[in-house]
Amino acid sequence: MLEVLEALFLILTAVMIIYIIRHYIFTFAVLRRTKSKTTLDSAPSPKLEHSSIVTVLIPARDEEKVIGRLLQRMTELTYPKEKMQVIVINDASSDETGNIAEEYSRRYSFIEVLHRDKIIGGKGKSAAMNSGFQHSRGEIIICFDADYYPQKDILEKLVREFADRQVGAVQGRVVVLNEPENIVTRLVALERIGGYRVDQEARGNLGLIAQFGGTVGGFRRDVLESLGGWDESILAEDTDLTFRVYLAGYKLRYVGDAECYEEAVDNLKAYWTQRYRWALGHMDCCYRHSVNVFLSKNLRTKEKLDGLLLLNVYFMPLIALLAFVVGVFLIFFGSSFIVGVLWFSVPVSFYSFVGNFAPFFEVSIGAHLDGRTRTQWLVPLLIFTFLFNVPICMKAFLNLLASKILRRDHNVWVKTRHLGNGNRYIGN
Amino acid sequence: MHRLEVEFNRVLSLFFLEIIALCSVASLLKINVESAVVLFIFDFLFVSLAFQLTKALSVKLGLLALGNVVGLFCNFVFYSLNVVGVEYFGEVFGVFYTISYPLLNMMWMVTFWSLSLAILPKTQNMKTKVKS
Repeated sequence: MLEVLEALFLILTAVMIIYIIRHYIFTFAVLRRTKSKTTLDSAPSPKLEHSSIVTVLIPARDEEKVIGRLLQRMTELTYPKEKMQVIVINDASSDETGNIAEEYSRRYSFIEVLHRDKIIGGKGKSAAMNSGFQHSRGEIIICFDADYYPQKDILEKLVREFADRQVGAVQGRVVVLNEPENIVTRLVALERIGGYRVDQEARGNLGLIAQFGGTVGGFRRDVLESLGGWDESILAEDTDLTFRVYLAGYKLRYVGDAECYEEAVDNLKAYWTQRYRWALGHMDCCYRHSVNVFLSKNLRTKEKLDGLLLLNVYFMPLIALLAFVVGVFLIFFGSSFIVGVLWFSVPVSFYSFVGNFAPFFEVSIGAHLDGRTRTQWLVPLLIFTFLFNVPICMKAFLNLLASKILRRDHNVWVKTRHLGNGNRYIGN
Repeated sequence: MHRLEVEFNRVLSLFFLEIIALCSVASLLKINVESAVVLFIFDFLFVSLAFQLTKALSVKLGLLALGNVVGLFCNFVFYSLNVVGVEYFGEVFGVFYTISYPLLNMMWMVTFWSLSLAILPKTQNMKTKVKS
């Protein structure tokens, strides 16, 4: 019995150590890149031509507090308006979202509103996006969530990457707008820093799987058409599209200087709801794509390995918890030397559960590179994200398991509410 | 003046290196192997990652030496607690100590890591305000 448990413990800790090493490599790569930036920056960037017509899709459901802010920003973007089409998909809103969007549509010809009533609407973001996509005419499709606030030249930064025909999709950087609000928003900010400043940046630099985050990114129209648009049967439509793009033989380019500011969740209940949706959707993606990634002829070995690690990332809190329980049992009932040594990897993992797994050293370095000294002080509190993510991932895993066994639909889209608190952080 | 400064930094760096070496030896000989492993992990992360950030080598070595002293002190406290605990409560305390030992070590390590990076100068790419 003890031998079996010891073998299980060795496997679990080996998985955790692989993830820790992976993120150590990411952190190291970003630091090396930052050091040699002057040399790399001298490389010519793709030439921007304002010839592409760009459609911006904005799905909005009950977003009256934030939609005006984003639409106003759309009018301030530096991309030529005659080459822009902005489609607001008013997805069965019961507040003033539709009216606010209509008001902008009357004033600006490039803004259009698509109303989805309560019969056809309210079925999740993917359905809304597909509906908007059907009405789009752009060669490039860019998506923004309603609570986002982009830089003025963000479209130029994102669109220029499509000069490379291999690039099927792009992803910009997400920065938390309402970071100073409370401890939850500050921890989410740390999560975003680890995820974008280090993780996405490193994956891009190392030629691994950069991830589409569902917003602040976009696709080449023909690629999106060939993929059949957004899959309405999955909650993590962004991760699903990421892998479908790669499996189809295209690349996804991360553009770190294309920044967009988001209104992060500001309370634990909203955090739970959002992360539960992400965890469930991500695990579902793992179930759907793991074999395809492994067998794909369009992916290189390192991309396959990174893709599989990325797909399994939401299982990590459960693996760490299991390793902890088994480890404690083994220590109580007499453990071998190797268990004692590997026991050290367990607490390191406890400090790694922000976003798509980001150990404390990765988050700290990211915060440092961003110049966020005070936020950095909160890194020791990352242990609480572990305590919070364990039940979230456990619930998601059990629900997914039940839905697969009972063949029951688990995809109930619970929307994140935005209160417009980010408005006060936007200075003119 | 400049040469004097360089020499001073060199002596300072050597002094810090000596402290780091002493901490490692002391943890290995006077505490236990685990404490030496913890210090090694901390040193490895700090040297390979934080040393790539911009700041004088002597300052980074100073921070590393301080981290080693803090680590040695914490491990000494944990170890003393273990000795006393086992004496009073028996071997069960030793088991709890083995379980909680890496967790306790992570606390000082993560805290020191984040605070020491806050001391190093900021990079130009600040993301504290909304960029237009």
